Amino acid sequence: MSHAYRAVGWNRQKKVYDRILTLGVILFLGLFMGVGALLRPNATAETLMIRGFGAAAFLLLHVILSIGPLCRLDPRFLPLLYNRRHMGVTMFILAALHGLLSLIQFHGFGDVHPLVSLFTASDSYGSLAWFPFQPLGFGALVILFLMAATSHDFWLANLGAPVWKALHMSVYFAYALLIGHVSLGVLQAETSPWLALPVALGLAWVLGLHLVAAGTEARLDRDVEGVEFEGLVDVCAVHDIKDKRARIVCLDGERVAIFRYDGKISAVSNACQHQNGPLGEGRVIDGCITCPWHGYQYEPHNGSSPPPFTEKVPTFDVRIRQGRVLVNPDANAPGTEVSPALIDFADKGAPDA
Amino acid sequence: MPESDSNEFYVGYHPTAPLGVARRTRSFVIAALLCTVGLALVLAKGFGPLPRATFEFGSLRTFEGTISTTPYPALHVPRPGVIDGAPWTSRYHIVAPFKFGADAAVAEFDGKHVRLKGTLVHRDGRTMIELVPESLEEIPGLALSPEGPQSLGEHSLIGEIVDSKCFLGVMNPGNLKPHRACAVRCISGGIPPVLCVRDTDGRAEYFLLVGENGEPMNKAVLDYVALPLEITGEVERLGDQLILRASAESFRIL
Ligand code: HEM
Ligand code: FES
Repeated sequence: MSHAYRAVGWNRQKKVYDRILTLGVILFLGLFMGVGALLRPNATAETLMIRGFGAAAFLLLHVILSIGPLCRLDPRFLPLLYNRRHMGVTMFILAALHGLLSLIQFHGFGDVHPLVSLFTASDSYGSLAWFPFQPLGFGALVILFLMAATSHDFWLANLGAPVWKALHMSVYFAYALLIGHVSLGVLQAETSPWLALPVALGLAWVLGLHLVAAGTEARLDRDVEGVEFEGLVDVCAVHDIKDKRARIVCLDGERVAIFRYDGKISAVSNACQHQNGPLGEGRVIDGCITCPWHGYQYEPHNGSSPPPFTEKVPTFDVRIRQGRVLVNPDANAPGTEVSPALIDFADKGAPDA
Repeated sequence: MPESDSNEFYVGYHPTAPLGVARRTRSFVIAALLCTVGLALVLAKGFGPLPRATFEFGSLRTFEGTISTTPYPALHVPRPGVIDGAPWTSRYHIVAPFKFGADAAVAEFDGKHVRLKGTLVHRDGRTMIELVPESLEEIPGLALSPEGPQSLGEHSLIGEIVDSKCFLGVMNPGNLKPHRACAVRCISGGIPPVLCVRDTDGRAEYFLLVGENGEPMNKAVLDYVALPLEITGEVERLGDQLILRASAESFRIL
């Protein structure tokens, strides 16, 4: 299957990525626990570890949630996205260490099973201030586990894209649970603004970034108001599209990427088959549309990945008339061959005679 | 329209990133690492101070004294250099390992002179022994007859119910909401519940909680653990230990 070939292994960029990630985690844990132990000589190792792993995981989750919108706003952040999976798995491992240690420390070795205790020991579910915060953390950990366990492309192929994507969108639910976990937990006891403030700023940062990025997205989703001509919609001028690049337009609610390359124009669906990456922000390399996220490739004239790969995206009929690009808003089935529209000399600049 | 305006294009599986992309990524990474350092320091500082509460984990000591099983298991040892009027025995709580009381372990030894091994837990002059159950043995010697309770009158006290074991040092912090579930688990397993009352200077006094008839009240207090409470009852002194005798009906959540 195609995904087997896609595994590019531990290439150089991934190695650099992982090294920096590891450095960051060690730096945080070392400083947090080291300074924590110095400031509070009575702290036990378990307390320092539980707090350190929890805080590190929560911080890393903020970084992970920022990458998507940052890349929407500026494609130069794309290297952060390329290996985001490893960041996710690292975050899960930290969260799991925190959860496991907490479960042992606070619920283990007692008169009921730790997992029963987790949900019943503190049971003021009707009160906000006393709402049990640990089950919220557990819920988040389950989601993070499912995401980490299915993060490999093998699962994307086997679960099917819609299920996989829904699962991975639930990271936002996990984040909401964790905001509850922290603000109904540790922030009810620790009164220092140096804890509450970073949590509030972190939430504001994540929300703000998503709102700004969503604004950009919403603009993309406005249908083009081009003139219709024989069922085709006039979307832009030929010279609006840079060579080897695309312009993204919205037709009948679907985003279409219109590429210009080698004196031709072709249009495909904007959504990459891998993880919905925006193909229209990609580039034509070696004759293939290359996705900006992880580099999946498609041939412009048929929306199909070159052999041996098997991914296919829908294509759209295109024509050029008087220097304007016309696109049929009805998508062809994924992988349908469409003859590219040829740009002649006159199309490049002024309308033809 | 988000077309990337520069002509650079990043492909992860190429050996190097284009210059502009690499620069941007490098500045982001440096900023992120600086934030990591800053946040680690801010958060480490942000957590409140921890009291001097000690669990001598890994160090076993031998104790000799007289066992009493009510209201909760305790070991009485004579206090050295007693002044007139002051309590002449020290009362050490005895608990079992993990989140269990020692009631079953000491049941047969009530009023007997014993030797036992255990690990000390102590905070603010209050002491507890985590018993090694197999080490408990009766030894020849004169058993102390424990002092009787001395009433100090009826009082309303405001404080927080904690489990004595964690609070005295097995966990630190061992109170407030983050510790609530654990305290419930410990008290439910037989660890004596205490009401921790702070004076205006933050100094804590501990009142061992018993029911109206002096009986242990582990299960009755579970719903109130860690909540801000006012309890009205009779305060007694038993050796060097303060006891609050009250019915759960008098508990008022503040
Ligand atoms: C089984 C699941 C979990 C349990 C039982 C649990 C338990 C706890 C407990 C008892 C505390 C309070 C610690 C203290 O006061 O020192 C805490 C705090 C915290 N937890 Fe969790 N937690 C779980 C999952 C998670 C997850 C998945 C995350 C994030 C990725 C997380 C992040 C945090 C953070 C940031 C704090 C506050 C600061 C700290 O103590 O690190 N927790 N958790
Ligand atoms: S989304 Fe991963 S390559 Fe397109």
